[in-house]
Amino acid sequence: MPTQNIPTLETRRLVLRGPEAADYPNFKATFSSYRSRFMGGPLNAYEAWMLYAAEIGHWNIRGYGMWMIHDKDTDETYGMAGGWFPAAWPERELAWIIWPDKAGHGYALEATHAARRYFYEDLGWDGAVSYIDPKNLDSIRLAERLGAEKDHAAATIDGNDAVYRHPSPDTLKSGQLSDGIELEINHYCDPLFKPKGFAID
Amino acid sequence: MPLTNAPTLATSRLILRSPEARDIEPMIAFLLDQDRAAGFGAAPNRGEAWRWFALNVGHWHIHGYGYFAIEIKDTGDTAGICGIWNPEGWPEPEIGWVVFDGFEGRGIAHEAAQRVRRYAYGDLGLTTLTSNIVPGNVRSIALAERLGAWFEREYDNVHMGRDRLYRHPGPDMADGRDDDGSVEAYA
Repeated sequence: MPTQNIPTLETRRLVLRGPEAADYPNFKATFSSYRSRFMGGPLNAYEAWMLYAAEIGHWNIRGYGMWMIHDKDTDETYGMAGGWFPAAWPERELAWIIWPDKAGHGYALEATHAARRYFYEDLGWDGAVSYIDPKNLDSIRLAERLGAEKDHAAATIDGNDAVYRHPSPDTLKSGQLSDGIELEINHYCDPLFKPKGFAID
Repeated sequence: MPLTNAPTLATSRLILRSPEARDIEPMIAFLLDQDRAAGFGAAPNRGEAWRWFALNVGHWHIHGYGYFAIEIKDTGDTAGICGIWNPEGWPEPEIGWVVFDGFEGRGIAHEAAQRVRRYAYGDLGLTTLTSNIVPGNVRSIALAERLGAWFEREYDNVHMGRDRLYRHPGPDMADGRDDDGSVEAYA
């Protein structure tokens, strides 16, 4: 029984679709692993299933949520990205998670950039934040690549997370921020420089 | 607006329907009531309670079944939930029920559970049903027994800990009873 009315977003390499039951095993593998330590994990099988069900329910209740990131050509899943706003969250969040063996290809950047544009342009959001564990350096780096800045004054979820505030729609449209993000994504798609090996000294 | 593709079922006094946004607050109020929700799995805070509401919606989309909202036909009030529950780690599909504060003592759970059981056997095609009840939840145990279920075994539930599994009568035995629980259909 598919979740209703979830839009599909396409980017150069990816297609973002609503989470389906068939995609659960990869979600479970990631959330039962150490990879999920900054997102409330690792979870046992029951907790992982319940979180996945909540991801689907979130779409139906809020009208937006976390997309499953698929490879456009092979359809394999790489992770999830999108909007997350359960009851305890002070503000709407842009969130992402990439399966551990799919990291390092810019998929989270490409997917989150598209999701943010959809929220700003189609849903009319005037901003968003990302709640990030201060030890989650990879996600902090991604938030910064997306143009987000640490907001020391903003309310946190429970005091253990740092708030990164995303640029407003106007800020994102003006200046070079979007160009820079798209340049970086394009570089992941078509690397200008492909090293044939690494120097050993 | 319904949040799932759940069918709408009726009994003489009740409508069993998909969870809707207007059920969120009554459900959260129940889950935050540490005493009343102890046997169901109380939520420590509002965030967790909201998440339970969301994951029940997801449960419907993944399995094609879940907890219905119980609505009182005459007033439109949401009086509780009743449905079929089977998250990962559960021993097998169970029929569960919750009656919110102020709606107890009227046989609402009994009426809802009989209808849901018929739906589970007749529409979902399940061939057996259980109810998982924590020891000491005497009201739910009494209702399970009133529904004809019997104690089968104790086991460790992944969410609730030590748990008692009650087995319901199968499709043949559970049929033939009206929504009022009487056996007049046999007469």
